[in-house]
Amino acid sequence: MANNDIVMLEGGPLIDPAALENALGWALKPEGLCKDDTCVIVHDRAALMSGDRVDVTAVASLIDRPAAHDATSDLVAIGAPRDLRRAAINDMRAPDFTLPDLDGLPMNFSDHRSKKRLLVAFSSW
Amino acid sequence: MIAVAVDEDVETIRGAADGITYPILIDADHVVTELYAISNVPTVLMIDEDDNIVQPNWSAYASDTFRELTGINSETQMDHIRAWAKVGTLRMSPEDAKGAVHDLSSEEEQARLFFRIATRLRNDGDAEGAERNFVTAIDLAPHDWTVQRAAQPLRGINPFGDAFMELYTAFNEAGRPFHGVTGH
Repeated sequence: MANNDIVMLEGGPLIDPAALENALGWALKPEGLCKDDTCVIVHDRAALMSGDRVDVTAVASLIDRPAAHDATSDLVAIGAPRDLRRAAINDMRAPDFTLPDLDGLPMNFSDHRSKKRLLVAFSSW
Repeated sequence: MIAVAVDEDVETIRGAADGITYPILIDADHVVTELYAISNVPTVLMIDEDDNIVQPNWSAYASDTFRELTGINSETQMDHIRAWAKVGTLRMSPEDAKGAVHDLSSEEEQARLFFRIATRLRNDGDAEGAERNFVTAIDLAPHDWTVQRAAQPLRGINPFGDAFMELYTAFNEAGRPFHGVTGH
């Protein structure tokens, strides 16, 4: 989960289907929307497409991830799979994440597994 | 202990980190507030050796700085944390812990994404685009401190000035919505 599963795309939500796997980790295949050995059946493939482009926000919706599009800048933000947060609040399973420390070096929450951890969210504001 | 700064101001955090030996991580994109449905700081979680959350989102303080506002005695809270660290005493039963945190609404999810877009535009030097998206995010989640208050320093607003009391008043009027548990 080194990329935290969050995505920021430039150029709007309509992308080349070939770029989908790189953007979201899921690819459009004849059998559906696939990641590794898992495929989600796509009942209405046309609804995902605009001409020969695929709408990443529609794909995000199918794989249960939130998406937002700022039309002026054409930036598209796609959030983490909702399953990860549901695991935290319903199943009490701590989602892993990767963030930089004060020196900019990435650290995984899971690096500290097998220890009790006090996770403290704080701020300067 | 792992501290996550819901912040992009590395230098201010560094200044407060003198002598601290536990990891301090910078979460400028608010990844953790999305993954754990965190809506204010400080929010504390206790997570055991096997990744089980045994104390979900808890409004806990390391000092009595805000005691007048919150009525919370930080020493009692610290006792709970020490008891868990030493002998594993749980502050909440597993039954109570489960479901103690409400999921984010779709508006609160969207607010986090527009906040992320705003931060990106601000870093790109697009102040107007940043402001547009901060305002969108705040309109979606007006009582979420990780959205409105976190945006204040990034929008040139003093988070400790009049804007704080305005937000605090509106938050109280809205019934102090918080994704988690409060109290000792």
